[in-house]
Amino acid sequence: MGNLYHNKTAQWLVYTAFFLGLAVIPSFVSDDFLLNQLATYGVYGMLALSISLCWGFGGILNLGQGIAFGLGAYGMAMTMQMQSQTESNPIPPFMLNNSLDQLPWFWEPFSNTAAGLILSIAVPTLFCAIFGGVMFRARVSGPFFAIMTLAMLSAFYTIILDRQPYTGGVNGITPPSPLQLGGFEIDPYSSTAYWIVLAILVTATVVAKLITQSSFGLVTQAIRDDAERVRFLGYSVAGYETAIYTISGAIAAFAGCCLVMLVQYVSPAQLDVGFSLSMVIWAAIGGRLSLLGAMCGAFLIQGAQSYLGDAFLATWLLILGGFFIVVVRFLPNGLASLLESALGLLATKPKTPAAETNGDAKPLPAE
Amino acid sequence: MPGLLEIKNLSKSFDATKVINDFSMEVTEGTLCCLVGPNGAGKTTTMDLVTGRIKPTSGAILFAGEDITAKHEHVIARAGIGRKFQVPAVLKNLTVRQNLEVAYSRQTNPFWNLFKFHKAGLKEKLDEIATLAGLTTRLGEQAGILSHGETQWLEIGMVLMQEPRLLLMDEPIAGMTEGEIEKTARIFKDLQKTATLIVVEHDMGFVREIADVVTVMHMGSMLAQGSLQEIEANPRVRDVYLGEKEAA
Amino acid sequence: MDLGSLLNALILGLSIASIWLIAALGLTIIYGAAGVINMAHGEFIMLGAYSSYMLQYYLGLPYLLCIPASFVIVGAVGLALERGLIRYLYNRPLDTLLATYGVSLVLMQGVRLIFGSDPKYLAAPEIFSSNISLGFASISSFRVVILLVTALCVLGVWLLFYKTRFGVQVRAVMQNKEMAASFGINSSRVYMMTFALGAGLAGVAGSLFGVLAIVLPTMGASYVVQAFLMVVTGGGSLAGTVVASGVTGELQSIFAFFTNDTFARFVIFVLIVVFLRFRPQGLFAQAGARR
Repeated sequence: MGNLYHNKTAQWLVYTAFFLGLAVIPSFVSDDFLLNQLATYGVYGMLALSISLCWGFGGILNLGQGIAFGLGAYGMAMTMQMQSQTESNPIPPFMLNNSLDQLPWFWEPFSNTAAGLILSIAVPTLFCAIFGGVMFRARVSGPFFAIMTLAMLSAFYTIILDRQPYTGGVNGITPPSPLQLGGFEIDPYSSTAYWIVLAILVTATVVAKLITQSSFGLVTQAIRDDAERVRFLGYSVAGYETAIYTISGAIAAFAGCCLVMLVQYVSPAQLDVGFSLSMVIWAAIGGRLSLLGAMCGAFLIQGAQSYLGDAFLATWLLILGGFFIVVVRFLPNGLASLLESALGLLATKPKTPAAETNGDAKPLPAE
Repeated sequence: MPGLLEIKNLSKSFDATKVINDFSMEVTEGTLCCLVGPNGAGKTTTMDLVTGRIKPTSGAILFAGEDITAKHEHVIARAGIGRKFQVPAVLKNLTVRQNLEVAYSRQTNPFWNLFKFHKAGLKEKLDEIATLAGLTTRLGEQAGILSHGETQWLEIGMVLMQEPRLLLMDEPIAGMTEGEIEKTARIFKDLQKTATLIVVEHDMGFVREIADVVTVMHMGSMLAQGSLQEIEANPRVRDVYLGEKEAA
Repeated sequence: MDLGSLLNALILGLSIASIWLIAALGLTIIYGAAGVINMAHGEFIMLGAYSSYMLQYYLGLPYLLCIPASFVIVGAVGLALERGLIRYLYNRPLDTLLATYGVSLVLMQGVRLIFGSDPKYLAAPEIFSSNISLGFASISSFRVVILLVTALCVLGVWLLFYKTRFGVQVRAVMQNKEMAASFGINSSRVYMMTFALGAGLAGVAGSLFGVLAIVLPTMGASYVVQAFLMVVTGGGSLAGTVVASGVTGELQSIFAFFTNDTFARFVIFVLIVVFLRFRPQGLFAQAGARR
């Protein structure tokens, strides 16, 4: 007892401080391009958060988070693209180039911004609920589920690449103007865009944190430990797994929307296998058991990649791969677990009686 | 009045081997039934079949008059059957308190549990069970570091947290000391006031102490059923089980 | 659809099946025997291609000798990896998946640093560049070579696993490690050997794929997902992978006949997910306990 790391109040305080720190950034950064780049880190943070929730707390390794992320991103790109289309010019140019003379049916709803935004979140969330439901009910778990998500991701990547007239193929979709929301234009290089991303990140984090502290969160952690045992306590394991996988997918869908709002571009690269795996690397290095740890992992690695990596991308990836191996081998719970042990040392020192009983229990059963 | 649990002509084969062969038994509400028999008689398999871990080849299982044959594990658990496993199964990476809290499974719906941060009545129940299981000082510890005896108690505590109508206890006293065994016997007798118990046990001394009814299994079938005196007087039981035991 | 083109599609399907099979063969052994999900398998294939390229380009080794040489080289890399990393992770299956992904990043970037990102070409002997016609259908003779090499490898693995003492040991360890140990089987050595063998087979696949397509540091990534699907669909057994590759190869070819290659691949992936919904243990489940 008494490790500050596990103290809920302390955790909330650290989270508050962390986000306050992020909130004051725009007042110090005058470079619009830098601010835009920092905002994209918020997107990576959401992705790491979603992986930590699903994998760290739910024990479900998801190598296909790019599906929800990518579908969200495509939804947003379609919405923004349709905002630029008019009565006289109802069809996006890339479709005309692919000799399509009518707007495909599934593009129609995106003409309405509200409907488009809702679909951008609803479609990926629904996909996760269905795919997760099917897989978990069949009791596909562990490495198998990871492989299946990978397969599904490849399938989506393939189909988006292949259906060029409808998706823009390898070129993707480049909406010509920024997102219009309720008559305002959201300039991706403004602090408004930064605030929006931060607000979504904060909301997602608070929701995720509350989930981990709820009864639901406790059951998912129990399932991570021993799914078989939890079934006999009366919980539908498949239901819980589907739920956490779907919530995590919804967060990734929000991340996808934010990214396109910031960069005005989407391509199959968002569904690239390598990108989904790097989300897992962020969470693993930062610490998948800590939401904040995973987010910091994303900031750390993506930050290092853009500042060191531009010049030596190949070397950087080599180092990252090596570092990742070392973390998996020696520090399975990531950098956050270093902090946990450090605070643990502080906590047990003054309480000698507690430390003694601990010592007794470990090597041998009492007596 | 029919029994709380009725097992009717149950059979289970793995490949070509019949592990349970036309087994029937009935457990009256409020009794403590001991299920005994030599190794490989099919006791644990019967528990697996009742709790839905495996599906029977044929036959039916009725709980409180309702057919629970081949239902999912969590559905059976929710109906009111709690189980302690032969090899104690606790959630090793969670604390003792969290283990007991998860087991307090009145609300099992994932959606509602998203909004649940405090469970009504949890604290009282947790204190009661922790005291009963002698784990009050260990609540903050990880379950993985408990000794074997403590792990047994934790799992018994978890089953009690579920507040089941029927408790299946697979070798609950393995690895316990004399004093702990006596305590277990007391607790079981106490539980009987509110619940029905089926206890799988090898220790005949313990069986003698607690059993209302003894069911003897042999080669996947029922060999005999009755009070302990009847069973001990039964020559067939003597042959296959008690005799073997005494010889050993 | 006339008979000729159907026949053609079927023969092409057989060829696709053999490519998928040789890519998945090593993975099957590593997963089936040691329970390791080896994400670096694609990079083992890539290393096989580069080994053959080097041997051919710098030493002038004839192509047909490059194949067994790649087997040895990549097998040695696999052996080193198993000793240095994988053996510490056997009881953490998800972590082997992650760690081997780290390995795949390192191998890919390492090769890129040494050889650059520009494509290399492996040359096969003249006679393999011709086409063989069988009545209606015609197929490049190199695809026949792949088919033959694949068949040889499967036969070899089958003989090794079911007809030798080593095979008995492997199967004993798969069933029950502790029990096998009590019979004096060194499970650590068995894991090491199967891992090296699996890696070596990836090397063979690499030297074949290097001729079929170009040699690039990223070439492995395109095979690994498919190879995994064959293993998972097959249930992790040798027979399972053979059947899974055969069926999906043919289906891919037939679907591609009606649409195109990429769309056919999408359909296959979706079909596999649906199939695993109803048979999560795959076609032929392992006798041994899953970890």
